[in-house]
Amino acid sequence: MEGATLKNELKPDIRWLDDPEVFRVMQLPAHSDHKIYASEQEADEGKSSLVQSLDGTWKFCYSGDIKKRPKDFYKEDFDTSEFDEITVPCHIEMAGYGRLHYINTMYPWEGTVYRRPAYTLASDKIEAGCFSEAADNAAGSYVRRFDLAEGLRGKRVCICFEGVEQAAYVWLNGQFVGYMEDSFTPSEFDLTPYIKDTDNVLAVEVFKRSTAAFLEDQDFFRFFGIFRSVSLYAKPELHVEDLWVMPYLHEDNKSGSLDIRIKISNRNLQASSLHMTLTDQQGQTVGERSVSLQNTEENDICFKKPGLENIIPWEHHSPYLYRLQIVLSDENGTAEVVPCEIGFRRIEIKDSIMFLNGKRLIINGVNRHEWSAESGRCITEKEMEWDIACMKKNHINAVRTCHYPDQKLWYELCDKAGIYVMSETNLESHGSWQKAGSIEPSWNVPGSVNEWKEAVLDRARTNFECFKNHPSVLFWSLGNESYAGDVLAEMNRFFKETDDLRLVHYEGVANNRKYEDRISDVESRMYAYPEDVIEYLENNPKKPYLLCEYMHDMGNSLGGMKTYMDFLDRYPMYQGGFIWDYIDQALFVEDEVTGKKVLRYGGDFDDRPSDYEFSGNGILFADRTEKPAMQEVRYYYGTKDYCG
Amino acid sequence: MALKIIVGDVTIGVQGKDFSYIFSTQTGGMESLYREGKEWLYRTPKPAFWRAATDNDKGNGFAYKSAMWMGADAYVRCVKTEAWMDKNRIAVPLSPGNNSYSGREYCDIFQAKFTYEAPTVPKAEAEICYEVVENGDIHVQVRYSGKRDLPELPVFGMRFLMPTPAERFCYEGLSGETYPDRMAGGEPGVYEIKGLPVTPYLVPQDCGVHMQTKWVKVYRKLVLDNTRQPQKETCLRFWSGEEGFAFSALPYTPLELENATHQEELPPVRRTVLSIFGAVRGVGGIDSWGADVEPQYHIPADQDIEFSFWIGGKESE
Repeated sequence: MEGATLKNELKPDIRWLDDPEVFRVMQLPAHSDHKIYASEQEADEGKSSLVQSLDGTWKFCYSGDIKKRPKDFYKEDFDTSEFDEITVPCHIEMAGYGRLHYINTMYPWEGTVYRRPAYTLASDKIEAGCFSEAADNAAGSYVRRFDLAEGLRGKRVCICFEGVEQAAYVWLNGQFVGYMEDSFTPSEFDLTPYIKDTDNVLAVEVFKRSTAAFLEDQDFFRFFGIFRSVSLYAKPELHVEDLWVMPYLHEDNKSGSLDIRIKISNRNLQASSLHMTLTDQQGQTVGERSVSLQNTEENDICFKKPGLENIIPWEHHSPYLYRLQIVLSDENGTAEVVPCEIGFRRIEIKDSIMFLNGKRLIINGVNRHEWSAESGRCITEKEMEWDIACMKKNHINAVRTCHYPDQKLWYELCDKAGIYVMSETNLESHGSWQKAGSIEPSWNVPGSVNEWKEAVLDRARTNFECFKNHPSVLFWSLGNESYAGDVLAEMNRFFKETDDLRLVHYEGVANNRKYEDRISDVESRMYAYPEDVIEYLENNPKKPYLLCEYMHDMGNSLGGMKTYMDFLDRYPMYQGGFIWDYIDQALFVEDEVTGKKVLRYGGDFDDRPSDYEFSGNGILFADRTEKPAMQEVRYYYGTKDYCG
Repeated sequence: MALKIIVGDVTIGVQGKDFSYIFSTQTGGMESLYREGKEWLYRTPKPAFWRAATDNDKGNGFAYKSAMWMGADAYVRCVKTEAWMDKNRIAVPLSPGNNSYSGREYCDIFQAKFTYEAPTVPKAEAEICYEVVENGDIHVQVRYSGKRDLPELPVFGMRFLMPTPAERFCYEGLSGETYPDRMAGGEPGVYEIKGLPVTPYLVPQDCGVHMQTKWVKVYRKLVLDNTRQPQKETCLRFWSGEEGFAFSALPYTPLELENATHQEELPPVRRTVLSIFGAVRGVGGIDSWGADVEPQYHIPADQDIEFSFWIGGKESE
């Protein structure tokens, strides 16, 4: 449900929580994650006067019974003196409200609430109150008062929530500005009609459960709340709404071309222009272009720059980035500066083998959940940088963002470090088809259920739109363990039709062969036994083979890696895999007996049912120290880098 | 200088310069290993049949299938003791035959052999033979007799409980914690480890194994002796012939590890538990809910396992 289709006086409705067809209301369209600056100097320094962080201390009220939540809290004159305070970003459970809960495939309400997804099992309707009146739901009411920073005043102002789990309504100064789902991608709203220079009241009502819960059944601690940064940004009179850079590297690995599409909004309709510069790492200008912009509110600009020569390609061992800088100017001078780091590389499948820049691609990968033993999935820049260094040190060349898109910074760091990314869409519904160890998809979602299609496609689209400029992203992944049906096929189609610079991956090919040609460019398996790998690869294999999860490193494990690494020499179509997984999911707590800081896992919070220590499968312990098995990873990934 | 042998009614003492050992018919093995003013045995070493189940051992059903080895490890008993001075048999039981001795018996080589029976169904058998040579070095041979109809073993070895925790240990072998199916990344070298670290897996489980070890030296300072002489760090050295051994030096027995669901539930560190292994099962890793360890890393119970090593002090290097 896009903003444009809604009536102006749209009122928020809690029943949206029950309706899989309502998942974004008045949200701005997803767009590239480019940064914006007011001047070239700002861009050089990496400090933007157009952006204002709202991270910090917010007023907060937790309602374990959503019927008792403070419904009027969004009003400007609402007295929040009785509210608590909470840090943003932070999971609500980690702040001490609501019980921590770890569970794997089972939906978190197993044994507590009987639920089926709307429109499954021959039902033609939503069940009113399924989430909006549910006893297992909870609400967090957030209020933040703020004055607008100088650089944002007088401009169009938007708000960006980088991650809010799992469904939320937003108001500014008492006015409803929108509704969001999809916990792991940015959600943005236009605040311009209601924003003031001072004394703004931002109110966000976050719900623990909604229909999105059926799509976000990842094997992890189940949290809710504003767990990634919140910021305001101002659009200057001229603003790059979206940037799509397509750097093509030709067969010779030296020449290439550049396609650039830029969407620009122009508010004051003055005579204006765009200047674009491409520089290499030495700061030498490789190309330059200026154009005048039309005096229309929206400018869609397409550039094609063929015949680029002497290109240095981007790859793991040489993550060479070029800098594209766009400067928008009007009669008053520079309006906005947008830098974007780009890389030229070519991924393709030839004779059922994946090649990167003409060389056979070897994935020495790892699955990575965003995790911190101190703060759950709310992680810092420092932790991300630590992770990159750890991967480089241990010869890990690829990461699957299991099972949701990561923070924006992660993609930037991977671009710079040459880490290949499988950017996974936020989708996992294994509880709807994996039941007590058997495959039983009687009410699988999204399956082929039309009413669930748009919500899921929107997740794919947002994943693409946000991260489409990152050379590190070699694969779009449709999600994890969601079985297969028409909706997955539609996601695949979206990616294939939209992006020719990447491959599409989905794990579910083996579970429902009917869809295998329509959901993945690769034969992707998880935890395949060596004999199963051989069986596929020795019987007229159709596609390159990847293990999207292998070497399950729970506790003292990771034995027998050699067998898989040897496949790289034996089968050109075997192209590696992603170890499960990067870091144990365990949390620091104070031991109730000794007072010492200790690590706890599923079931340690009276959370039932649980999957207990199954939360810890990392090659790192939860405190980020390396498990002893890491030396084995370092050895094999270091010696089987290039082969064949 | 020859070894002095004291044939008691229950035990046999073996003495030399700076060492004295006691082998016991009552505890069924070596009861005292005293060198340089320090006791090294807290309880008589026995054959080791169990490792604290790993997550994979539990997940793939190995712990279930092989659970009887846990009881075997805990309750193995000595069923036969034999001893020799320069190949001449000492009658067991020791008394009243020992009335024929004078207390001035000497020999160049002393041997004692203990036969063990484990409460598996059918019963398993193992032997530990000690051979003490003149300078006090002890050659230990450990043997498991293969038996059909028994489940696979997680390990086979010999476990030493020392009275106090080690300060450190050094070994020549592979870096890090290694297992038969996870040791390619281990770099050969000499390594010193402070204390007796337990790898902090979320759920305590077997850990700290070092494959392909040439020697390990355990350094202890603290003693339980109430006369509390100045506590000096000394070492006990275990070394191998050509084939090498695997070992772990931990503060806990497999059952202590097995019983804890979290690291903080492990008891205070009081002992050194040194296990010398002749066979170690791989840890596996294909998955943690069913996939077996690869066949070449299993320990079948129907085949004999034999290994040997030496024990001595640092001065014999």
